[in-house]
Amino acid sequence: MKGKQFLTDQSILRRIFLFLFPFLILLIFAFLQILNLMVFQAEKFKTQADSNRILKEKVFPPRGLIFDTNDEIIVDNFIRQDLVVTPNFIEDYSLYLSLLSELVEIEKNTLEQVFYKKLSEIKPFQSFTLLRDLNDRQLAKVKLNFKDLPGTEINSSFSRNVVFGESSGAVTGYLGFASKQDILINPNLKNFNDQQVGLLGIEKEFDDELRGTVGYRYSEKDARGGVLDVLSVEPSTKGKNIKLSIDIELQDKLYKEFRGRKGALIAIEPDTGFIRAMISSPSYNPNFFNNFKTEEIKLLFQNKNSPLFNRAISGQYPPASTLKPFIGLVALEEDVITWQEKILDEGEFFVEGDKRPYTGWKEGGHGEVNMEKAIAESSDVYFYNIAYDLTVNSIAPFLKKFGFGKSSDLFINESQGILPDKKWKLGQKGEFWFKGDTINMGIGQGYILATPLQIALAYSALINGGKLISPRIVQSIEGEETKFVSEKIEIKDIQNLEYIKESLISVVESNTGTAKNIFDPKLRIAGKTGTAQVKSILDDNKYQEIRENVLLRDHALFVGYGPVEDPSIVVVAIVENGESGSLVAAPIVQKAINLYEQ
Amino acid sequence: MSRQPLDFSLNLGIDNSRRNSVFDVWIVTSVFLLSLLGISMIYSASQSVEMALRQGIYMVFGFVVLTIISFSNFRKMEVFYLYSYWPGLFLLIIVLFFSNENNETSRWIDLGMFTIQPSELMRFLLPLSAAAFLSRKPSISNFDYLVVFVLTLLATFLVLLQPDLGTALIVLLSGILPILLGGLPWRYIYLGAFVTVCSLPLIWFSLYEYQQQRILTLFNPEADIYGAGWNIAQSKIAIGSGGFWGKGYLNGSQSQLNFIPESHSDFIFSVISEEFGLIGVLFLMFLYGLLIYRLILISIKHQNRFAKILSATLSTILLAYISINICMVIGLLPVVGMPLPFVSQGGTALIINLVTIGIILSLRRET
Repeated sequence: MKGKQFLTDQSILRRIFLFLFPFLILLIFAFLQILNLMVFQAEKFKTQADSNRILKEKVFPPRGLIFDTNDEIIVDNFIRQDLVVTPNFIEDYSLYLSLLSELVEIEKNTLEQVFYKKLSEIKPFQSFTLLRDLNDRQLAKVKLNFKDLPGTEINSSFSRNVVFGESSGAVTGYLGFASKQDILINPNLKNFNDQQVGLLGIEKEFDDELRGTVGYRYSEKDARGGVLDVLSVEPSTKGKNIKLSIDIELQDKLYKEFRGRKGALIAIEPDTGFIRAMISSPSYNPNFFNNFKTEEIKLLFQNKNSPLFNRAISGQYPPASTLKPFIGLVALEEDVITWQEKILDEGEFFVEGDKRPYTGWKEGGHGEVNMEKAIAESSDVYFYNIAYDLTVNSIAPFLKKFGFGKSSDLFINESQGILPDKKWKLGQKGEFWFKGDTINMGIGQGYILATPLQIALAYSALINGGKLISPRIVQSIEGEETKFVSEKIEIKDIQNLEYIKESLISVVESNTGTAKNIFDPKLRIAGKTGTAQVKSILDDNKYQEIRENVLLRDHALFVGYGPVEDPSIVVVAIVENGESGSLVAAPIVQKAINLYEQ
Repeated sequence: MSRQPLDFSLNLGIDNSRRNSVFDVWIVTSVFLLSLLGISMIYSASQSVEMALRQGIYMVFGFVVLTIISFSNFRKMEVFYLYSYWPGLFLLIIVLFFSNENNETSRWIDLGMFTIQPSELMRFLLPLSAAAFLSRKPSISNFDYLVVFVLTLLATFLVLLQPDLGTALIVLLSGILPILLGGLPWRYIYLGAFVTVCSLPLIWFSLYEYQQQRILTLFNPEADIYGAGWNIAQSKIAIGSGGFWGKGYLNGSQSQLNFIPESHSDFIFSVISEEFGLIGVLFLMFLYGLLIYRLILISIKHQNRFAKILSATLSTILLAYISINICMVIGLLPVVGMPLPFVSQGGTALIINLVTIGIILSLRRET
């Protein structure tokens, strides 16, 4: 094998540089990159380093409290301890969940379900609430084992407690998480996307006031998310306290009057618009939602009696005979009939061209009746007659002035009811208006539907001298009184209102009045009964058949106000399938007025 | 084998008669300053007095050895250098039987008091014995090159088994450089380069997935900012945010708050950049530049083949370490475990680097 001479100085030098060269090139590139990073991009990286270093955390304010008109607390806050995890700091999820499962004594499966679901919804290095409302035992165990639970924090947050539970459910509503759409509509919710906000009732209507604004805490943190030092705090503003016009004692007692029955009640002051009680039965306990009781919530949604539905403002019922005073009033205003003029009621009303007569509720009729008697005894034939003469063209616009067929803007989920006219029928049913539709409307049946709140507002207008009031359920927000708004209804002759009121007194006080059973000289009340047909009855034979099915029985209505001398409250009560306005609904109204007057 | 015992020739008086002074002041100063900088940055990055102290002890020990070796007569040491490959190989095999608590093969042999990293040792012993082997006769045969090449591949393979890609490449380089500097004909060099290029795809598929991931991350670091790209992103933030003057010693938020991974070892350059800024980086580069310039100067001036090969190889490897490490932390090269010489935490590396300098200094006396 031929040996080779060692390289000359010059060629070894060349080779040395050849091998150094690639690394020198690398170094030159490195130096250029370093210049780029440290000189040209320095500001950007300084900002990034700061945002790395400084942890900006939201500080949530306590939600405003809700009081009743007597300053009794209805909705309260208490402090809840939640377990928050940052998955990036957990090395082995399964191991972590096993340990946690042991500590909090919750099955690993359950934890895993929540954990992996939430994990899929977050971005890296974000955290989420894994467990809510830890009890003292769980809290102590978790805190003792903090060292073995990396990426775990205990966060205190406020939890909501509705003191009277079910009784005030229809009023207060409940909390939950805003949907993406909610946030789109109300950008203020963005900061609260992981917090409970109002989803129904007062909690929703006044969410902006109750919520307060988010504050921020800036603290220095390390790469594992550990907080080293709090640098500064931008305080949150706490939510405003709200004082309702509701009298919670009245509300609670009246709700219990409904126990076991479906129905609604509204008690409103005709001179201020303050709602003192608003009941929808059956109701629900908002704390189920506020405190994540999933099992109970599921049952509520499955309940066929729709406990989450607020019948007082969203339930639409035929006003039935409670509409008669307004038909009477419009007849007087339009000079279709005078106060004393009598009509013979023999139990049936015939219209030319119709084979079948329109029957009254009382077989054989009420004989000769003037308007006072017609209202007191609730003569159907009398009102068939005047409605026939009035025509829908004068009835519908007049009822509209009293608030029928439109929302009062109290709550967002309020129903508008139905105030039918020719145009409505053509549009909705595709049919022309028949005379018979007007006749049915004369006794509050047929297409017309109203919410208990609408009936209460209409009666308030009768009593307060013709003012359509805007109902108020909030008396003051953080001490600031809400405004009373009302609209004057044009009445040609104010005496006509007096006539109607007189007849409403007769309903209770005359010997033949439909609600004479509730007469009490100590606290005189006036009002009107109503029996709303759930299903129209074509002939008497079927009536018993229909009664068999509870859900098809008539709704019982009563609107009352008192005291007669100087009315301070109007109360509407509807008992679904209660059949008798005077026997079922009227006593509840009487009780409400008595309780209110106490 | 009957040879004289080690002759450390500590008789300074004799050496003074030579043309050059014993110590190259520039080399010793730059190495000293780099090591001191290393210790202070390790303290800043780890906030551990113990870690800094340990590194300090290694430094003192390393400098003692450096001094002794630099005064030794390297000619008398040549035979030891020649056979030094074998204990290195032995340790590389031994380490494969050590495993850490995670049941993974370890890169270290734990001797209780201290640990040895055989791969680090090999990238120093291999060029040492290769240079000695190739210069033992006046002429070098092709068979000699082959022997060195095969032994180099064997060592590289053993390091790859650990697996430690970065050091494996350095070991490969430290074995090939003596061959190339020894005067391997160009046609073999061309052939070797051709074969390497052709086998690149093969190399790619033989990489571990995490190694592939690191390389992919390099080309698109933003694609996975929270995964493999996280370390690089944080390192770049640290370097960039240092700006011109830096944030000050112990004041780098990225380093102090643990955003930089391995901030006391492989990523120590990021800490220096963050806390001392561009000024600090320039100073560091000046020290390295000075060191490598003086080392190359020795290689050029020296008449002895062993000294030429060894000194050129060691200084090239030093430059490789520096450039690869810096490119790695600024995101120009994939993350492979490669420390910054003299500065990064790690006793074996520091002592070996100092011993290397010691040997080169001892060669220098012969110029």
